[in-house]
Amino acid sequence: MNMLRILILGVVALAQLAVPAAMVWQREQTLKQGRVWKFRTAPVDPVDVIRGRYIALRFAAEEFSAPAKFEAGNKSVYAVLKQGTDGFAEVDHLTIEEVETDDAVPVDSVWWYGGKQQVRFAFNKLWVAEANATAAERAYVENNRRDNRNAYVTVRVRRGDAALDQLYIDNQPLSDYLRAHSPR
Amino acid sequence: MAGVRNRWAIRWLRSQLPELVASGVISSENARAIERHYEHDQPRTNFGFIILAALGSALVAAGIILLIAHNWDELSRARRTGIAFLPLLLAQTLVVFTLMRRNESRPWREAAAIFDVAAVATAISLISQTYQVQGTFADFMRTWLLLSIPIVYLLRTTVGAMAYVIGSVVWLFARWGTFSSQGNPMLFWLLLMLVIPYVAIRFRRDRDSREAATLVIILALAALFGVGATADFADANVGAIAYAGLTTGIYLCGIKFFPQPAGRLHPLAVLGGIAIGVVTIVLSFESNWRMTYHAAVPRSSAANLAVAVELLFPVAAVCLASFDLFRRRAEFSLSAALLPIVAAIAWAIANLCEFSNDRWQSTRCSFAAATVINCYALLLGIDILSRGIRKNSIARANFGLLLIAALAISRFFDSDLSFVTRGVGFIIVGVGFLVANLLLFKRRIAS
Repeated sequence: MNMLRILILGVVALAQLAVPAAMVWQREQTLKQGRVWKFRTAPVDPVDVIRGRYIALRFAAEEFSAPAKFEAGNKSVYAVLKQGTDGFAEVDHLTIEEVETDDAVPVDSVWWYGGKQQVRFAFNKLWVAEANATAAERAYVENNRRDNRNAYVTVRVRRGDAALDQLYIDNQPLSDYLRAHSPR
Repeated sequence: MAGVRNRWAIRWLRSQLPELVASGVISSENARAIERHYEHDQPRTNFGFIILAALGSALVAAGIILLIAHNWDELSRARRTGIAFLPLLLAQTLVVFTLMRRNESRPWREAAAIFDVAAVATAISLISQTYQVQGTFADFMRTWLLLSIPIVYLLRTTVGAMAYVIGSVVWLFARWGTFSSQGNPMLFWLLLMLVIPYVAIRFRRDRDSREAATLVIILALAALFGVGATADFADANVGAIAYAGLTTGIYLCGIKFFPQPAGRLHPLAVLGGIAIGVVTIVLSFESNWRMTYHAAVPRSSAANLAVAVELLFPVAAVCLASFDLFRRRAEFSLSAALLPIVAAIAWAIANLCEFSNDRWQSTRCSFAAATVINCYALLLGIDILSRGIRKNSIARANFGLLLIAALAISRFFDSDLSFVTRGVGFIIVGVGFLVANLLLFKRRIAS
């Protein structure tokens, strides 16, 4: 094996390690230093909840009154957050400016219907272990009905990066809730 | 064709040598000389074995993922992160070992490559799950492909190159999955360009091998998908010319770069030929020539680039064909090579009329354009049929007939012909099939 090949192999191996490592690094920073926001989850169609091994999350804050449609063109959209009286996050306004603060989260898609602005937060999937998937789905749906809204997630936000931290059901982290309510 | 050797024939010849020596047809010196002559053609490793080695290592990698995923929730985030990197480090160690100690073994190289590529995917997805990193499947595919392509070159893996090309097509389709972005497909061409030098290396080393044939065919099929996505994104009504150019290009490359013994065609040329037939029949429908594009609509530079990429294919095909024509070395069917020019003429005719901007409304021009393609399809069918009969090739003659039959059937469904006319038409095509086959079989028996 000649020197050039060793060199290329070294660069490739480093790149392969660097991509997941960079993901870890950014998330660790956000999870450690980011501001905590609580998002109340919104009732969802049970059929739509589990897709493989993640729970598809919808949030109450994803819909809010707006007099007119937000025009973003092809640009990325951020939602600037504010804390509501109940302590949960609400959207203050939308912006297309690159926001480097701890109160703005990226938004996947934006649409407007009947005086309501709808957005889809970029953190809308919660990965769960396969063994827990069914139980997690049941717990999420049961605590997300219109008459029983007892679920929320915590999201850490730092410089425009939003890291989904935990799903709380009945004020317990999902894993604790599942353990407490396991049939055994 | 000089330089082209049929491996099966060589194997058969070698198996016959002892018998020939025993019966005194050739001397044992002759037999040894023949053995020596074909020494280099002995396949070093079996392609099937290589596939099995690659599959085996993919299964091992999948097994590791499943083992790790088990009881995942009980582990802390830090521990999960550590475990996510394990398969990747293991695979990289295997790659280093293979390059240093097993560099000449193809099964080792293929297996190490698949293992490493799978480990990259494992690490990224495990980290994504652990840290709830969101993102689309298309984003994941893009990162994975870009991290994997250097492995194809380092480990000289053809199976890996095939998987990479298929992965690029998967990226193309994953892009459509997300409803928000029907985005720019240009990255697909960049991904494909990254593998082209490897294809060229394989082509120079062993163009007659089955692996090289499979690789170029997968590449050609991928390009067919790519042109579809590019035409969809460009939305400039030149998709017909692009497809005509690409299919003709595939056919010409098959003929020019993979010469075969007289009367035979490389699978790439066969694929190109079939694709030319399909595109011709599709374009013979009048509805495909109804133009809706308005020059007044502002176009993005990305869309204009897509149009340029689309037009690259017909230009390349015409250049390739004219190059051989000028040097009087053309071995391809001229009528098949004409498709991009005919499509361009039809396109120009279709654009003569005012755009109605209504896909459901036909114009005189769209009708005239379709007529041009219909005439061409008929001529192409007749040309292939007569070439088949001349060269005594049943497959080619039947393909020509199939083209004519497909054209006839398309028009029967397309137009308001009476049942009697349709019936007579079918009978004529059916009789044509029977007569041509009878003729060819008779001639074959006679020869």
